[in-house]
Amino acid sequence: MQKNLLIFYFLNEVMKKKILPYLFVSPYLIHFILFIGFPIGFSIYLTFHDWNIIAPMEYVGLANYKRLFYDQLFWKSLKNTVIFLLIHIPLQIIVALFLAELLNQKIKLKSFFRAAYFMPVIVSGVVITILWQQLYGFESGLLNRLLIKIGLNKIGWLTDPDWAMPSIAIMATWKNVGLYVILFLVGLQTVPQQYYEAAELEGANHLQKFFKITLPMINPTIFMVVVLSTIGGFSLFIEPYVMTGGGPLNSTLSAVLYIYKQGFFYYHMGYAATLGFFFALIILFVVFIQKKFVEKEN
Amino acid sequence: MKKTILYTVLILGSLIFLYPFIWMLSASVSPENEIGNLILLPSKINFNNYFIIFEKIPIAKAFINSLIVSGTITFGVLIFGSMVGYALSRLEFKGKNLIFYVIVFTMTLPFQITLIPQYILIVKFGWIDSYAGLIVPYLMNAFSIIMFRQYFKSIPQDLIDAARIDGCSELRIIYGILWPNSVPALITVGIITFMTSWNEVLWPLIVIRDETKMTMPQLVTLFAVGGRAESQLGLKLAAAAMLALPIVLAYLIFQKYFIQSMTSSGLKE
Amino acid sequence: MISIKKNIFVCLIIFLLTVSCTRNERKLRNEIIYWSSNNTEEIEFARFIVEKWNKENPNMKVKFQPVPEGQSSEEVILAAIVGKTTPDIYSNMWEGDVEGYARAGILVALDTLDGFMEFLYERCDSSVIEEVKSSDGHIYQIPWKINPVMMIYNENIIKSLSIKYAPKTYSEFFDAAKKFQKDTDGDGYIDRWFGYTETIVTWWQRFFDFYPLYLAASNGGSLVENNKAVFNNKAAVKVFKFLRELYEKNYFPKERLSSRQDVFLDGIIATRFTGPWEISHAEKYKPKGFEYNFSTIPVPDDHKGPIYTYGDPKNIVIFKTCPNPNLAWQFLKFFLSEENDLKLLEITNQLPRRKNIDKNSLYQNYFKKNPKMKIFAEQAKFVKGTDQSPVLKEVFDIISSEYEACVIYGVKSPEQALSDAEKSVNLLFLK
Repeated sequence: MQKNLLIFYFLNEVMKKKILPYLFVSPYLIHFILFIGFPIGFSIYLTFHDWNIIAPMEYVGLANYKRLFYDQLFWKSLKNTVIFLLIHIPLQIIVALFLAELLNQKIKLKSFFRAAYFMPVIVSGVVITILWQQLYGFESGLLNRLLIKIGLNKIGWLTDPDWAMPSIAIMATWKNVGLYVILFLVGLQTVPQQYYEAAELEGANHLQKFFKITLPMINPTIFMVVVLSTIGGFSLFIEPYVMTGGGPLNSTLSAVLYIYKQGFFYYHMGYAATLGFFFALIILFVVFIQKKFVEKEN
Repeated sequence: MKKTILYTVLILGSLIFLYPFIWMLSASVSPENEIGNLILLPSKINFNNYFIIFEKIPIAKAFINSLIVSGTITFGVLIFGSMVGYALSRLEFKGKNLIFYVIVFTMTLPFQITLIPQYILIVKFGWIDSYAGLIVPYLMNAFSIIMFRQYFKSIPQDLIDAARIDGCSELRIIYGILWPNSVPALITVGIITFMTSWNEVLWPLIVIRDETKMTMPQLVTLFAVGGRAESQLGLKLAAAAMLALPIVLAYLIFQKYFIQSMTSSGLKE
Repeated sequence: MISIKKNIFVCLIIFLLTVSCTRNERKLRNEIIYWSSNNTEEIEFARFIVEKWNKENPNMKVKFQPVPEGQSSEEVILAAIVGKTTPDIYSNMWEGDVEGYARAGILVALDTLDGFMEFLYERCDSSVIEEVKSSDGHIYQIPWKINPVMMIYNENIIKSLSIKYAPKTYSEFFDAAKKFQKDTDGDGYIDRWFGYTETIVTWWQRFFDFYPLYLAASNGGSLVENNKAVFNNKAAVKVFKFLRELYEKNYFPKERLSSRQDVFLDGIIATRFTGPWEISHAEKYKPKGFEYNFSTIPVPDDHKGPIYTYGDPKNIVIFKTCPNPNLAWQFLKFFLSEENDLKLLEITNQLPRRKNIDKNSLYQNYFKKNPKMKIFAEQAKFVKGTDQSPVLKEVFDIISSEYEACVIYGVKSPEQALSDAEKSVNLLFLK
């Protein structure tokens, strides 16, 4: 009798030990199925249909893909996003590295400067965008007023199709650079002091020290910054949505903004899913290439 | 000499990053025609714009909506994240590594691919225009799981064994033992989650159409982009200032932790 | 441990249940739910009609409310459709939206209701009936009211330019514009323009520039027909050329004037393309001695025939969720009667889309008191709404994009712009 109880108790404990982990992990599994697995599967399914939510779904085979191929506006939005990245990422790295290098010197008030540079990072993108709209205004914007005061001409920051996307890239850099200053600071601080001392003994100046020692040592940090900025940059949405609506001449239409318009303004759910899926593949591909590039370096 | 140049550049930098905010604040309380000025010392300060905003849009309600949504999400992420992180770091079971790799993989997945089906799911559940629609998809977060897993791994096993001998249930172990010892991780995850969910605009724009249920950034976005502000700069800037205020205040108070959380998360990548 | 988990689980279930329980009380009522627009005067009108009806029909009551607030009423309607909380009757339906809803099967085919077609033929003439017919031959909307877009002009300015009448053709328009163009404060920048239209690229802005001009130039031509773009024609090219030249020669300003005070009433611009809603605004705010009137939309010099324009038509629909469409139809017959149409005119100053409204004896008094409205009533014969296509918004978006490139930025020729627009629009119908 007691032996049975003991066996029962033992089995119970074993059961608990076995099932428990799965119970704990179950919230994530449910979440995964509902919000990751199902969406990916359904997304792919949707790409073969026409659907505007209120009408029944209509099977259209590869029509959405065909349309994607001919859709000038989509390719333009991709091009716009790439232009944005090509300006934003290098600018960000240079400015962030520069500021981090400065902050890494022996100076007082380090935490004040750090906090100041970091401020734009935490503030909502909406606030930044509204603010910069006033800076970029053609007639009475602050920047143009400054330009006129120094005797230069006004610039159509947001009204000139050649300037619009660069303007947004500059604004995005201003917003995010604080975060990367901090990241670079951490990275800079991992460089052993002896390397610098050794180089000084050999007569290296500051610039030489920077390029020969600092840069190679913080390579992993630079890589991380590049990947994070790339993924973030591909999600460009709220800035063009608020500032320019995608114009002028569709020069600030980012890929996500276009997908949003297709899905939630025209309600072409099937086509929007197709664009989203295709775009996601591109992002994965780019990140994959970046990773391979770094692994090769190492 | 070198030091003066250094400080000058650094101070110039701070000006560049801080001045726009200062300008925004003073512009929101100045008379409309003075707003274009570079150095803004308003001739008279009036908070009219702020009053108008309270009249025109339900911004107080939106603030509360954001609080509720971000608060619940942060709380949920902390609870569930530590639960799963604990299982992955401290328990042994089949499929443990598989699940971990899946989680890491999903972090690289761009949201663009799940956006539309997630919306359709919310429609089918009837969660459009509801808190559920805003909260539930974000209750779980790969980043938090990975952070907790990492952190829990570093907690000495004896602590946990001692608790088990004392007869603690597993849940009690997580929340009673591990949590008090993981304060940095909790703060990191908590702050980052709260901040990102507070500033999120795209998802609320898709899921919430009813003005009284909108989150604060969403409402301010629509106010600025739509016609309500009637292209009056002062109004728009005041709305933006109101949106920035809560986070900036929280930032000034918890400054040390904010920056710490950003760096520790970056390192763990 | 078990209890915490159980509690959470139970809470979740309760939560999910409460969320889904609010939807099943519709079928058991004998009243009609009617949504009007949010416009103050229309609300007043709706209240009047509904009270009158409820008094005489106590067992077929109508419950009325303005469409709920939201980013746009179209979004609110869409949300209602998805959430199955649509009203029975909705009177603010923009004609361009109907086809999409009809195809989705959520509107009642009105031509199947008793006495509908007779009523319709009495109210409207055949061209209007053709216009509102859906692609499947049924009719899902009742033409209710229109606000034709015409050209308002400053009579004193016209007189001062020694022209006999407000310009009717493109050449006359350019002539007048040239004479009026001035730099009054000598700073080297023009500050008086003959006309103005918003340069924003939003799709509905074209209702106040490109579309009325196109309808006028093409005698009511369509943009899309049978799932094809048909707007790439001579008329559209002429319209693009006209507008582009206006901006090139700075007869229309490229800068945004909308943040200033009313530039028409201030005399900064001499004309504007607008509708009857402008009248009450002008009467309220016009400075002393200010005289204005309305004329037709300008047409190409070689134009023949009547001058059409866009009517911004709003129509009435019945949703399929209505438990008793015939009952709803009884109410609508009353709503759209001659007497009640007169009330619509008097309260809202918007024209009922009724044939021969300028000749109907019942309305003569009203038009005597409101002579400017008579001009619109006469224009009402030659008014067009929109084509019945579910992608109309997108068509206008595409045309707006090309409009921006050609007319405002001048980087494309009109022919190229329209051809590109045609290609993009035809892509929409790719299957």
